[in-house]
Amino acid sequence: MPRRHTGLTVKLSLLLALLVIAGGSGGCVSGMTPVGWSGAAVSDNTCFLGSGEGRLVTVNLVDEQRQWSDAMSTPSGGFFSFLPSLGGCSRAAAVAVYGTPAISGDLVYLGAYNGKVYAYDKNNLRLQWTYPPGKDDYLEPIIGGVTVADGRVFFGVSDENSDVYNVYALDALNGNELWKYKTGGKVWSTPAINGDTLYIGSFDHYLYALNTADGSLRWRFATEGAISASPLYAGGTVYIGSFDQYLYAVDAASGGERWKFKGENWFWAKPVKVGDAIYAGCLDGNVYVLGADDGREITRFDLGGAVSSSPVISGDAVIFASQAGEVFRVDTADNALTLLASIGAEVSGPLCEYDGIVYLHTADLKLHRVKVATGAVLYPISLEKPD
Amino acid sequence: MDIWGLFFLQPVTNVLIVLSHYLADSLGLAIIALTLVVNLLILPLTIKQIRSQKQLQDLQPRMAELQKKYARDKQKLGEEQMKMYKEAGISPTGCLLPMLVQMPVWFAVYQAVMLCLAVAPEGLLKLSSFLYSWPMLRTLVPLQNDFLWLNLALPDIVLAVLVGVTMWLQQKMTTAPSTDPRQQQQAQTMLWMMPLMFTVLAMTFPSGLSLFWVISSVARIALQCYVTGWGPLATLLPARLFTGGQGKSQADSADIVIKDEPEAKSTKSSAPGTGRPGYQPDKTRVRRPRKK
Repeated sequence: MPRRHTGLTVKLSLLLALLVIAGGSGGCVSGMTPVGWSGAAVSDNTCFLGSGEGRLVTVNLVDEQRQWSDAMSTPSGGFFSFLPSLGGCSRAAAVAVYGTPAISGDLVYLGAYNGKVYAYDKNNLRLQWTYPPGKDDYLEPIIGGVTVADGRVFFGVSDENSDVYNVYALDALNGNELWKYKTGGKVWSTPAINGDTLYIGSFDHYLYALNTADGSLRWRFATEGAISASPLYAGGTVYIGSFDQYLYAVDAASGGERWKFKGENWFWAKPVKVGDAIYAGCLDGNVYVLGADDGREITRFDLGGAVSSSPVISGDAVIFASQAGEVFRVDTADNALTLLASIGAEVSGPLCEYDGIVYLHTADLKLHRVKVATGAVLYPISLEKPD
Repeated sequence: MDIWGLFFLQPVTNVLIVLSHYLADSLGLAIIALTLVVNLLILPLTIKQIRSQKQLQDLQPRMAELQKKYARDKQKLGEEQMKMYKEAGISPTGCLLPMLVQMPVWFAVYQAVMLCLAVAPEGLLKLSSFLYSWPMLRTLVPLQNDFLWLNLALPDIVLAVLVGVTMWLQQKMTTAPSTDPRQQQQAQTMLWMMPLMFTVLAMTFPSGLSLFWVISSVARIALQCYVTGWGPLATLLPARLFTGGQGKSQADSADIVIKDEPEAKSTKSSAPGTGRPGYQPDKTRVRRPRKK
């Protein structure tokens, strides 16, 4: 090959390699690297959430003082641990947190993508215990949130190996394992508890009802698609979305189907119930308002972008956010939709409301704030830990 | 969705998911099948590219002679080079244009594989926006990432090494022997740098992507072998592979060019691969420069 063409080929090949790297990195930023979308939980004027830096962060909502826990540990990368992260997807720099922290007594509980559940002292964020307790012991990634009830911590694990358990119950005080249960797929769902029954969805297409005392199966309900959404228990019915594009209403006692409603994409987020209506966001960009008893469509709103974040109730309104970062208010009295604000950042995690302000945690390490009454956007609070 | 997503990434992604459904719900088999299908679709372009490369390689000895002859007159050298290309009836950019056309297709396959692996929750969420509104498609996701011993969403050392080895073999087949030290050095850099770079990348990227790279390289090696023979790789392979005239080494083309050239170029006869026992060059495939 002539010299100048050999040179050109060398340059083209290098360009190709660079594009592959750039493409890979780009792909990782927008979907291959776990970043997290932890929702916020509020207690005593203090907001708790897991940050993209792999820490539990608290924000005092009165004086905006922040506090950070120590960074969570990452599992060893094994053979590949010596390699730098080239935009690849084997490891992330910090531990991602997807679940919303749960607060009970003096402890705050958090499940993380590194496969550990953490319990922190609510006041000083000192670590009290972890599960698994061993420093180098990890489960598979924990995507859903933890639920605390009757002195127990319940959570699901993203593990689909047939010989591995993926729903756990721990003693909330010390993290001792009480029982564990095996579904046939990954569990990204945050458990819902009613009395002595736990409801949780699995990628194996089933909604499970387990006895909270010993983890025994009460019933399971089959859908046609994987379930990543968290169930909502309300009034003797469990509402849950599936990848088969249906939102199901299932009898909480028997596991029988009451009704189902078809959207045009997955129901990813947990719905809310206000009065006799279910408000469910869908990845097709719509918010469906359905009759809680019969699933009839009362109305729908097109938010213009996928809805993956769980809505929040604020007084007589339900607040939704589209992935595009637009925040909407739906008045439950007349089902009127109002665009409150656009925060200019992608919203994937659940919304939180406290004292008339909606809090939205975004991947840019910021806690955005929007006033429900006026739609005024307050300046976002940085969750980044100062050096 | 942007134009790239709409016309390239989305179709390829959906085809990959459908393929996995019809191939025993195996994403691994789907990646292999898609890579082979895409190779078949762009086969005419690939063959054109390989032939153009081969033609340029065949002109190598004459090119070296011109460079030597007009070392101090770049303008004349350029003119003579163009004249030589014209006489030979080849376009110097003939191997580049097909490559440029193929690149978007390969990028779409590459991105579709990454998308379908949906390693992180964000990836699965992103994948949902690329699915066509066929109900079947939405229930097929998430795909099973297990294939043979692999979790396709995680890196694998064996596959990473295979990426490097197959890429090296592919590079070796297309590396033209040269008497020009600078050119030789460039060729050596290419031969080692790309495979090494991709091996390191494969160690950090999901093995599903490595599988795509390995199958692409193997397909290209097979095609290259079919069209132009083993090339310089012949020197590394057992001689019996070439009995029967199926394979054709790079050296064989050099031999034939030498017959048309003055004796001064007989130094090329020491090119790798010549004189191998039982080796019968297939002269019918060699394109000679057209004589006036």
